[in-house]
Amino acid sequence: MHSRWLTRLSWSVLVTGFGFLYIPIVILIIYSFNESRLVTVWSGFSVKWYGELFRDEQMMNAVWMSLKIAFMSASAAVVLGSMAALIMVRFGVFKGKMLFTSMITAPLVMPEVITGLSLLLLFVSLDQFIGWPDGRGVLTIWIAHTTFCMAYVTVVVNSRLQDLDESLEEAALDLGANRLKVFFVITLPIIAPALAAGWLLAFTLSLDDLVIASFVSGPGSTTLPMEVFSSVRLGVSPKVNALSALLIAVVSSFTFVAWWVLRRQERLRLVDLQGAQKQQDQA
Amino acid sequence: MSSSVSSTSNSVRKVQLQINGVSKDFDGVLAVDNVSLDIYQGEIFALLGASGCGKTTLLRLLAGFEVPSAGSILLDGEDLSRRPPYQRPMNMMFQSYALFPHMTVEKNIAFGLKQDKMPKARIADKVAEVLELVQMNGYAHRKPHQLSGGQQQRVALARSLAKSPKLLLLDEPMGALDKKLRTRMQLEIVNILEEVGVTCVMVTHDQEEAMTMADRVGVMNNGVLSQVGTPMEVYEQPNSRMTAEFIGSVNMFEGTLKADAVDCAEIQADALDCNLYIGHGITGTEGMELAVAVRPEKINVSREPPSQQYNMARGVVEDIAYLGSHSIYHIRLRSGMIIMASVGNINRQLASDKDQRITWEDEVYVSWSDTCGVVLYS
Repeated sequence: MHSRWLTRLSWSVLVTGFGFLYIPIVILIIYSFNESRLVTVWSGFSVKWYGELFRDEQMMNAVWMSLKIAFMSASAAVVLGSMAALIMVRFGVFKGKMLFTSMITAPLVMPEVITGLSLLLLFVSLDQFIGWPDGRGVLTIWIAHTTFCMAYVTVVVNSRLQDLDESLEEAALDLGANRLKVFFVITLPIIAPALAAGWLLAFTLSLDDLVIASFVSGPGSTTLPMEVFSSVRLGVSPKVNALSALLIAVVSSFTFVAWWVLRRQERLRLVDLQGAQKQQDQA
Repeated sequence: MSSSVSSTSNSVRKVQLQINGVSKDFDGVLAVDNVSLDIYQGEIFALLGASGCGKTTLLRLLAGFEVPSAGSILLDGEDLSRRPPYQRPMNMMFQSYALFPHMTVEKNIAFGLKQDKMPKARIADKVAEVLELVQMNGYAHRKPHQLSGGQQQRVALARSLAKSPKLLLLDEPMGALDKKLRTRMQLEIVNILEEVGVTCVMVTHDQEEAMTMADRVGVMNNGVLSQVGTPMEVYEQPNSRMTAEFIGSVNMFEGTLKADAVDCAEIQADALDCNLYIGHGITGTEGMELAVAVRPEKINVSREPPSQQYNMARGVVEDIAYLGSHSIYHIRLRSGMIIMASVGNINRQLASDKDQRITWEDEVYVSWSDTCGVVLYS
């Protein structure tokens, strides 16, 4: 009796939890197929808002702009973040290491408003004194996004590097490869999954950022979150619903493919391992 | 195993590796303290010691992962101590094997050869040759995670032999294997190394492994090489209390020198009622403090008093460890000292003939001959 009651309770908690998370998204997707131009009134099925969305040049420009900035920021953040992680893990103890480590991770906990405002002040005064960057635009958003994305990449790569068996690198040195070659042929391929994860994380963060981008953007460099936010202020258009539904579709299919590939690899690995064990037992 | 054969030819052998007064300090702590050692061509040398004794640091100094604070390392007369690891004609097999996880067995082995810019066809031949040597021919296209522990070890050995190094370094070669596989691989690796004829320095904390595999053993303690010799020399003629106690077990009698003649010596030991008698003269002055070490298997246990008046004692059996092939008796003397005696179980014993056997609480005599004690000064 008691256990049945418990089962029911845990199920209801689960359903409520998932409902809380996903019902708004489901509603959003449903209403993206709404005929009416009023977002909250259902008047029949239609895909016209998807068509409208693709015809909206301003929105499409914002999408393109955001993707471009996210791609550039993620790439720069991976390079800089990996370098920071390498120094933290591989260069032993050096003077000011503690300070370096805490300062590199500070942007993780810094309120975005402060990061954005301080970067804006920096760019404005730089512009005044040395004439660079000339005004605000894609370049300044890129620098700002790289700054905070780098911290996340550092954390991801750092933990992978700490797990990496140092004797792998020593073995490569011992077999005649110099330090540079060891880094590119041994270290880099082994930490590649962490770099990819860091890149994706940075890409998502950059794509998602509204606050920092609002501070450091200029005319002609409106990102997607800024565009959506400002259009919503003028009244929610069903186009935004259509856009959101498309984004959800892209993200979830990416996630599904990643999950499928990982599961397949793990299964292959287990099969191989069992095979090896069997052979050893026979030997 | 092969120690008795090779030790006799030491005099004609060529010295391949010379370690001259090498020290290494890490922030004021001496991990390796003025070690000098010659390694002969073609021999298997084991550095033996407890963890933290500096043996691994010495191996890393040889491989080039650490730079010595003092001293030099000469391979075939050439000073290597300041060269980076990738410019030394020696290869190492790591304790964790350190196989590159993203490369196949074949690529792992070819890695070192590629660094030498060897032509592709010759690399393929060489890879096939070493895989044959370690009997892993069928596994060239496997990834390391698809191999069992023993197979990974074979691949690691093949990789470190592929470049035909002048010197092979083995870091705890059996450390990652279970006990059953360990004894099999010990002999197999020795066979492979002898077939190749490579000079080898290995590091281990397992004395059984060192004695099985090595021609000569170096015992390290606190960064100092305390004794070098064949396994038999190190076991039967330890030169210090530390070596005697580290290799195997030992009964140690502290005492003072009473009488010293040309062919015998007498030592008064506090723990014994009678004197210790040594069948050879020793270099010392009367009254000096020294110790006599006697191995457990050299001690005789009997119910009847032995005929000799020296090297004996009376005691009570306090504990018996039955180990199958032999039993270890722990016998408490009147002085409170506990003597360990190892007695081979030569006859098959049955539970029924309990009365004839020496057992707990029995009054017994222990005795040993005058050739069994080793006099230790330090």
